[in-house]
Amino acid sequence: MFHWLEKHPFFFAVAVFVTIAFAGLIEILPNFAQQSRPVIGTAPYSTLELAGRHVYIKNSCNACHSQLIRPFKSETDRYGHYSLSGEYAYDRPFLWGSKRTGPDLMRVGNYRTTDWHENHMKNPAAVVPGSIMPAYTWMFTNKADIDTAFAEQLTIAQFFSVPYNKPVPMKDGSTKIVKMGGSVAEANALALAEAKIIAADMKDQDVKDAVANGEIPEIVAIIAYMNSLK
Amino acid sequence: MNKLYLWGIIVTAVMLLFTYMSVAGSEGGLNGDIVNMLAVAGAVALVLITVFVVIKYVRQMQTDTAEGELADESWDNIGEYKNPVPMGWAIMFLGTMVWGMWYFLVGYPVNAYSQIGEYNEDTQVHNDKFEAQYASITGDRLIEMGESVFLAECKICHGINADGIDGKSADLNRRIEANVVKFVIENGSNNKLLGSEMPMPDRNGLFNANSGALITDAEIDAVSAYVANGMSGAGADVYAGTCAACHGEDGKGMDFVAPSIATFTPELVANVLTYGKKGVMGQMPKFERLNAKQKEAVGAYITDLSK
Repeated sequence: MFHWLEKHPFFFAVAVFVTIAFAGLIEILPNFAQQSRPVIGTAPYSTLELAGRHVYIKNSCNACHSQLIRPFKSETDRYGHYSLSGEYAYDRPFLWGSKRTGPDLMRVGNYRTTDWHENHMKNPAAVVPGSIMPAYTWMFTNKADIDTAFAEQLTIAQFFSVPYNKPVPMKDGSTKIVKMGGSVAEANALALAEAKIIAADMKDQDVKDAVANGEIPEIVAIIAYMNSLK
Repeated sequence: MNKLYLWGIIVTAVMLLFTYMSVAGSEGGLNGDIVNMLAVAGAVALVLITVFVVIKYVRQMQTDTAEGELADESWDNIGEYKNPVPMGWAIMFLGTMVWGMWYFLVGYPVNAYSQIGEYNEDTQVHNDKFEAQYASITGDRLIEMGESVFLAECKICHGINADGIDGKSADLNRRIEANVVKFVIENGSNNKLLGSEMPMPDRNGLFNANSGALITDAEIDAVSAYVANGMSGAGADVYAGTCAACHGEDGKGMDFVAPSIATFTPELVANVLTYGKKGVMGQMPKFERLNAKQKEAVGAYITDLSK
């Protein structure tokens, strides 16, 4: 066979290509697949968190805020452990961002809480003197789109095998089950149950009333998303 | 004269002429400019060496004949002599193999750059420096350190002056505010302020020893004002009857029973930083990234603030 290949330059070139490509694939693919597995402690987004993620994207938060902590001491001091690729396993699309006009938000859920986000979104300069971030007052009245979030959940659960309704390992050794509704009504009910927990920690009476009436303002969804970033 | 030597002389002359013209024509020329003189010397040396080497090898190609015994094998009519490998080649060949093994096993794996490795080294250097310079500070220096940590981590919620930004979070210039006392009495509390689970009952578990009944709304308001006022004013009797059993007559708390509600203590602040806290104003997250010394420093700073 090698003699035959030596006499046929074209097929020789093809054979060389196939050999090197094969070697490359078995070198690269397993490592790549391993690195992109979710790390322990990374759970899929719940319906409300996903709706909040859509709010985040809709308002272009990623234009000013990154979600990627680089392995530098100065960054890990401020934001927490540097990012690992597996932590983005359920991010579609990822929101790494490319510019930090504001701080990184990769682990904002570790060091900011619901009431702080509420104060901050209403009037950023009131809690952060000199902040140039605009107020996002419309989030307090706009309603979050739970149906779209549920549609996305269904899609990613089916096509990317995102483990909804299945135990996911957590860092402390326990497991967590992120629920996904079986129907639109069920998904809305799940999101509302989650929203009630958030709203209980909020001060804005209009938001509390809206949630009590079964509506979910965008601010509740985006706070749920922020709190999930850990 | 051999044609080869003639060509050598012509090429040498042309190149030297070119060198002379380009240097003499440039700024500074040939007079007194040491850099130009060095360049010319280098150029002359290069030209002469080049011509000499070329002539040597061309002559060798013209006159040399191969010597030695041919090997039996022939590869497409290209034969090979059985001459031994020249010593220089052999040394280089073996040297390359040794270096290759070293590089494969030691050179690359040990010295390869890793971003995470550099980060770990940075962190190690930082931690060593912290250990050497700050791990044992006390007194005013500890308070200074606490202030700097406060300004980095805490001011975002508590404000630069630690005043809580108009009630958005706790005012740390005083131990406790009336609405906080009231909330805790009405709802109970379990914030691990002592470092362990030690729940305080809500109002349905708080008896006023003076009246022998559950604490009333009016009594809650009175005792809230009393505690928020720095353990003075009206409400002392309610405090003595209801709260003092656990929090002490002076409000300084009791070990393993109840925290101080008269003053901050560094331990109390450190516990809040470790476990977080949830109350009437909202939730405070835990600060896992602060080390024990930094927590102690923040505790010292806040204790000092509220004196």
